[in-house]
Amino acid sequence: MQHNKTNLNLQLIKNKYQSHTYHLVDQSPWPILISWTLFFMAIGAVLYMHGYNNGGLLLNLGFFLTSAVMYFWLSDIHIEGSFLGNHTKEVKNGLMIGFILFVISEVFAFISVFWAYFHSSIVPSVEIGGYWPPLGIVPLNPFSIPLLNTFLLLSSGAFITYGHHAFIAGKRVFTINSFFMTVVLAVVFTLFQYIEYTDSSFSIADSVFGTTFYASTGLHGFHVIVGTIFIFIGFLRIINYNVTKQGHLGIETGILYWHFVDIVWLFLFIAVYFWGSN
Amino acid sequence: MSDSEVDIVELRSKYVLKTVPFDARFPNQNQTRNCFQNYTDYFKCVKAKGEDFAPCQQFLQAYKALCPNGWTEKWDAQRESGTFPASLEP
Repeated sequence: MQHNKTNLNLQLIKNKYQSHTYHLVDQSPWPILISWTLFFMAIGAVLYMHGYNNGGLLLNLGFFLTSAVMYFWLSDIHIEGSFLGNHTKEVKNGLMIGFILFVISEVFAFISVFWAYFHSSIVPSVEIGGYWPPLGIVPLNPFSIPLLNTFLLLSSGAFITYGHHAFIAGKRVFTINSFFMTVVLAVVFTLFQYIEYTDSSFSIADSVFGTTFYASTGLHGFHVIVGTIFIFIGFLRIINYNVTKQGHLGIETGILYWHFVDIVWLFLFIAVYFWGSN
Repeated sequence: MSDSEVDIVELRSKYVLKTVPFDARFPNQNQTRNCFQNYTDYFKCVKAKGEDFAPCQQFLQAYKALCPNGWTEKWDAQRESGTFPASLEP
């Protein structure tokens, strides 16, 4: 009888542990919820662009709700990793692979926008007189604010790399300062882009030049804002001791995203700002 | 000669059948650029040399042959209103 009771205890203990190194996620509402919020956002975008009433409202609502679900889902991942111990080496590897694949999909989104830009600009159509930039359009001087923005982004990339190394080396003050500088430079970049947008003499409606310019730089600007938030949250988690040297995927993925944003800007600067101007 | 043969000879003396020769600058099927180039070149030529300058007629005949009438009407209207997208300065 003692023998059976020991067996029972052992079973009860064994049942608490998994015999594999993977993370079987608990049931969660976020995936299906985000599919609905993304749907609202997509439909809202289409309705807005075709001038239907409240299309813009639906778009904004969908966007807000998507952001909210992202916040809850990502904080769940943070809890699972930092506090529940679910992130083994294999799980972290899988998460990083997944994020790299996501960045590759974003690269393709930018390829599509760059394709549109090159299609229209390399062989300018007769509707715009065969010129690029079209007559009457005064493009922005690339060696003014855009060049400064290039330096801001490159510097922010350098700061965040330095910060990452400092983090691994356990240098808390250097880490926090570097991440703070990255965020500051990113915000200044966004501010300068906003100023450029408001002070520019052409709008998105000014022929295919305006459309391709604002579609490409706008998509990039949106990614800068997302990346800034990403890094800022990483910055807060570092301050709150929520990450370790061994487990800081949220930081590493943020850094990868930021470098991707930086590289896209370099392509934008060369192709759109420099080559595409007079 | 029969009646119809005389008609043909008369018609042949009045009307010359020809079209635009091959332009190596525009070798492909899409001849839009050929039409547009001749249209702008004609008006640049006229601006530089005057309407009576005979060689400008080559551009005129080329664009009249190549361009759809709808396009030339639209471009004529754009020129009138000053919104033609290309520069017509010689």
